[in-house]
Amino acid sequence: MADALTPPRQRLSKRQRRERTRKIALWSYVGFFYAFLYVPIALLIVLSFNNSDVVGLPLRGVTLRWYNEVFGSADLIRSIVNSALLGTVSAIVATTLALLLALGFRTDFPMKAWVMRMLLLPILIPGIVGGVVYLVTFGYGGMPFGVWTSTLPVHITWVLPFAFLTLFPRVHGLDPSLEEAATDLGATPFVAFRRVIFPLIKPGVIATAMFSFTLSFEEFIRTLFVIGSDRTVPVHLWTLLSDQAAPFLPAVGVVIMAVSIFASLIGFVLSAQADRGRAKVT
Amino acid sequence: MLPATIWLLVFAVAPVVLLFAMSFWTSSIFGTEPDFTLENYKVVTEDPIYLLILLQTLRIAATVTLISLLVSYPIAYFLASLKGLSKTIFIIVLFLPFWSSYVVRTFVWLPMLGRNGLVNSFLMAIGVTDAPLDWLLYNEGATHIGLVYVYTLFMTLPIYLSLDRMDPNLIEAAADLGAGPIRTFFRVILPLSMPGVISGCVMVFLLGCGAYVTPQLLGGTTGIMFGNLIATQYTTTNNWALGAALSVVLILVVGLCLAIFGRRARISDIFIRT
Repeated sequence: MADALTPPRQRLSKRQRRERTRKIALWSYVGFFYAFLYVPIALLIVLSFNNSDVVGLPLRGVTLRWYNEVFGSADLIRSIVNSALLGTVSAIVATTLALLLALGFRTDFPMKAWVMRMLLLPILIPGIVGGVVYLVTFGYGGMPFGVWTSTLPVHITWVLPFAFLTLFPRVHGLDPSLEEAATDLGATPFVAFRRVIFPLIKPGVIATAMFSFTLSFEEFIRTLFVIGSDRTVPVHLWTLLSDQAAPFLPAVGVVIMAVSIFASLIGFVLSAQADRGRAKVT
Repeated sequence: MLPATIWLLVFAVAPVVLLFAMSFWTSSIFGTEPDFTLENYKVVTEDPIYLLILLQTLRIAATVTLISLLVSYPIAYFLASLKGLSKTIFIIVLFLPFWSSYVVRTFVWLPMLGRNGLVNSFLMAIGVTDAPLDWLLYNEGATHIGLVYVYTLFMTLPIYLSLDRMDPNLIEAAADLGAGPIRTFFRVILPLSMPGVISGCVMVFLLGCGAYVTPQLLGGTTGIMFGNLIATQYTTTNNWALGAALSVVLILVVGLCLAIFGRRARISDIFIRT
């Protein structure tokens, strides 16, 4: 009788109650974590509109003058153009090289493990050394520093292992007998690739190229040491940061963040679409 | 296949070989000349600053790895427990900040922790302190916060992937067999997520050891790391040979740590992003 009168909430078993507490704890922790991720970014956005000559609080009204200053800067525009072009060329070359490697890696060949080690070397070298090593090489080799001379090969080499690791699982399952059948039927290896292999792996190739683009777009430390007097977006921000009093810095940060997130978001959507396309094929 | 291999030999292997060779060369005001001397390594071992900063770097990288692990594990667990649309949304929202360059992601902490930053304003508003605190920024603590903030995704993602692959029936089975939640976690969930945990730890530790931007922007003079010492040889003192020797030391130390802890790490877990 007493049991029937107690409200249903209290009739939860000990286990269910514990489960509920655990859920509440987890959700509150998740809230804290996402706040940790986003509060600094939100603050940056707020400060970018702050009508104050000092970066920081208190808020002194809303202004767009920092954005005017930023978009009026030819340096920033040029660095965005540089980053976009560099990212595009790096992505195309790195994806092509990664594709060659991925197709080759389907079969065993001598020294395979060593080629793999060489491929992973750029990721396993600590970041700062990754920059220094090219400064030393190109500096000693007499290569002029700039976006299209020294920076491009550095970006391609940096992006290549990631491109391979993204592409390989999508190429791996490809049956080599497809190519064999095509060549048996009289297709040249090139035609076999273009008409049989490529259509099957196209979504994966697009996803890899987009991912490579964003990696190149965001690369900083390796670029800093070899770019000379040219600027990419992250290097441009870095040079501005050495003058820490500049009141337009939050606006620069917001613009740069928006550009990179936008570029990555396009890549994400395209590669998701590509994956969906792949799911339909198989 | 062949063009890619040649590319790797020229642009990935040769530069590292040159760096290694240069660590035995001599730098003077006239430039860096080929030589075979152990002088640079002698400087590295004799001046205590290098060993000190190296140890500090390993310590910071290890602490950052541990903090990231503790911070990220529950998030990875949470993401793995979600389904459908909410899962996609939470994952995209997690990725978004990491899609911008880590220079920006480090920079956001300057207005957070600075003299007239958010933390100080908040502390003053609730009356904890009357004057802004100066010790929030430009020290080891700030370096830690910055590094955890910048690298935490590299921990969350591999753990999430290994938890997501886990068969949920295993947890139910453990509960049916009478294991409490704590026991289930330590005996079933944690061991099964170990590959992800190791991958994440290796990745964050590696990134932490090579850090330059975060300690440079947030670390002040006490929070600097080995990367800053290396960079100085190229940006200010122009001692390329010594910088090469320091780089070789860092590569060897990190390589050793990887050889010990990294054997079980799955490279593909670490690097595949989506």
